[in-house]
Amino acid sequence: MDGNREYTPNLLINRAVVPIGSVGAYKAGHGNATGHHGEIIQGAMRNQDRIIHRFLVTLPCNELYTQARFEPSLQLAGHIIVPDDKAKSRMAIEITLKYLNRSDFGGQLHLRSNIEKGFGMGSSTTDVVATIRAVADAFGRPLLPEIVAHLAVAAETASDAIMFEDNCVMFAQRRGVVLEYLGSGLPPLHVLSINTARDAPLDTVATPAARYSDWELQSFCALSGMIRRAIRTGDPYLLGRVATASATISQRHIPKPAFEEIQVIARANDACGVQVSHSGTVVGLLFNAFCPNLNVMVESASKDLSSIGMAPDFRFSTLHRRHEYAS
Amino acid sequence: MLHDHTTFVDYELPRLTPLAPNLVGASFFLMKLLPARFMLDQAERSGKLKPGGRICETTSGTFGLALAMLSAVRGYHLTLVSDNALDSTLQYRLCDLGAHLEIVERPGATGGFQQARLDRVNDYLAQYPDAFCPRQYENPDNPRAYASVAELITERLGNIDTLIGTVGSGGSMSGLARMLRLSNPDLKVIGIDTPASVVFGQKDGPRALRGLGNSLMPKNVDHCQFDEVHWVTAAEAYQATRELHRTHALFQGGTSGAAFMVARWWAAHKPEQKSVVIFPDEGNRYTSTIYNDTYLQAMEGWSDRLLEAPLTVTDPSCHIYRWSRHNWNRRSLGGEPHV
Repeated sequence: MDGNREYTPNLLINRAVVPIGSVGAYKAGHGNATGHHGEIIQGAMRNQDRIIHRFLVTLPCNELYTQARFEPSLQLAGHIIVPDDKAKSRMAIEITLKYLNRSDFGGQLHLRSNIEKGFGMGSSTTDVVATIRAVADAFGRPLLPEIVAHLAVAAETASDAIMFEDNCVMFAQRRGVVLEYLGSGLPPLHVLSINTARDAPLDTVATPAARYSDWELQSFCALSGMIRRAIRTGDPYLLGRVATASATISQRHIPKPAFEEIQVIARANDACGVQVSHSGTVVGLLFNAFCPNLNVMVESASKDLSSIGMAPDFRFSTLHRRHEYAS
Repeated sequence: MLHDHTTFVDYELPRLTPLAPNLVGASFFLMKLLPARFMLDQAERSGKLKPGGRICETTSGTFGLALAMLSAVRGYHLTLVSDNALDSTLQYRLCDLGAHLEIVERPGATGGFQQARLDRVNDYLAQYPDAFCPRQYENPDNPRAYASVAELITERLGNIDTLIGTVGSGGSMSGLARMLRLSNPDLKVIGIDTPASVVFGQKDGPRALRGLGNSLMPKNVDHCQFDEVHWVTAAEAYQATRELHRTHALFQGGTSGAAFMVARWWAAHKPEQKSVVIFPDEGNRYTSTIYNDTYLQAMEGWSDRLLEAPLTVTDPSCHIYRWSRHNWNRRSLGGEPHV
């Protein structure tokens, strides 16, 4: 059906956008990228043109990161050396060099990451984004997150929104564009991370995209109102409601083991909600980071989770800078 | 293209008005515009409705007006099957918008006028197999259309505890309840019906209050969404409509009055709960009836004082003559309550 077609990427970089100043100095470039803990929401909506747009809002996790170093070389012209299994980074280098009008260069890439593959925490996108940033840095050309997003999607087909760092965006992960800027940071959340399938990592890229029903497409539209308000007012409880709803819809597509039990534990310990990596295996219990008895709640929840064989791996907070919200 | 699906976006969404510290009214100009637009969008997308095609529907109310507005803008041939309940003001407006009206003169052997109208629609569809019939009572796109209202409510008000509104086709209340329960499974949902409507188990009969209730069971009523059901009579609804106008300056139709009466009572008794009440249409159609004292004084029960609180009934099929409530408890029709 024609009306049900999805957006076909027509990326900015495929058009004739030629950066100015193609001659200049270069050096070894460095780039970092922060990983994530899945998404607050991931789904699809029909936009004004009635085309289905897939989107997500990433939950960034500053404990997770990838560092890239790119050594450009004219001698290597057209020759790119990347670590063994980093084909997407190779693609990212080619695309970024082309974007910067430096395709006459080759170079060597070094990557260092603390993110495990296959659990939906952005191992692939952090490689790609750190690489793009390192290449850009090598030529002294810092790139806007919007440009990094375009390049990343061109390199790996679908990307998480980590290039926007603490800025919350509703991101079309297969188009590499922002559908909506939601605000400058998530509400103060403390996240208790559970890996529901440590022994069974997923090939997150090969996992087919969810086929949402008409009812689900409309549900994401309904939820978009609540996430806007949650971020605008910095309300972790409202955000937790959205995350739980999206995680519940996701159960029909990529189910997480023990999801019901985890939800019961979340409620029993006054968590704001349950959040998942929609194409991965990790699940997060979300708590209000400003809650006075946060530690008691988190420890009690950890104990309950261990009792069902879902002992949490680590905890982190979205509170990187001081957030002050009017009530 | 002359139109897109946002042509009526400011017309199809409600205005939010605080009525009490814990109660917000969501007032539509013409609520049916939203499901009508969405049903046409979906039919266009799936190819059931071709450019310049035919639409046929049975209606004596605002759904017909919504279809006529959309057909005028989008260039469809609209045929509406109705009966003598169609008031002349609406009739003029429908004709001005280019709709073709078919008036059914006699009720069917069973199912009254509603069945006779459905029969006429089926005749039309047999004659024009390419015509699209939205069938608002059973089309699943009717409840689905209300996502944008849930979006508006949650964006403006955050999480709410209670949703209150009238039930006719079941689209708005069943759809909104399901959408809002995604983010709040504990949401309380209060449906409002009128005596002699079959929707929540009354025996079919003549109903003075229009725009809610039904004499046939609409498939779009998802009974399991309702925690509580109220029945409101015409005289009560009209009095409350006038009070809504006098005290809050909201000029709405009779179903809004019925909803307001229940919502005001609920909000006063549940101060800790944030409630939203749906007001489906504005008052212009009712200037010669609800807003006309001479007309009202001739009505049975008009001079009775409004009840402060509803009567409680345990059997939804019992004879109801005043505002009554029943603990529906999210059960399916005739089924056991969900625990």
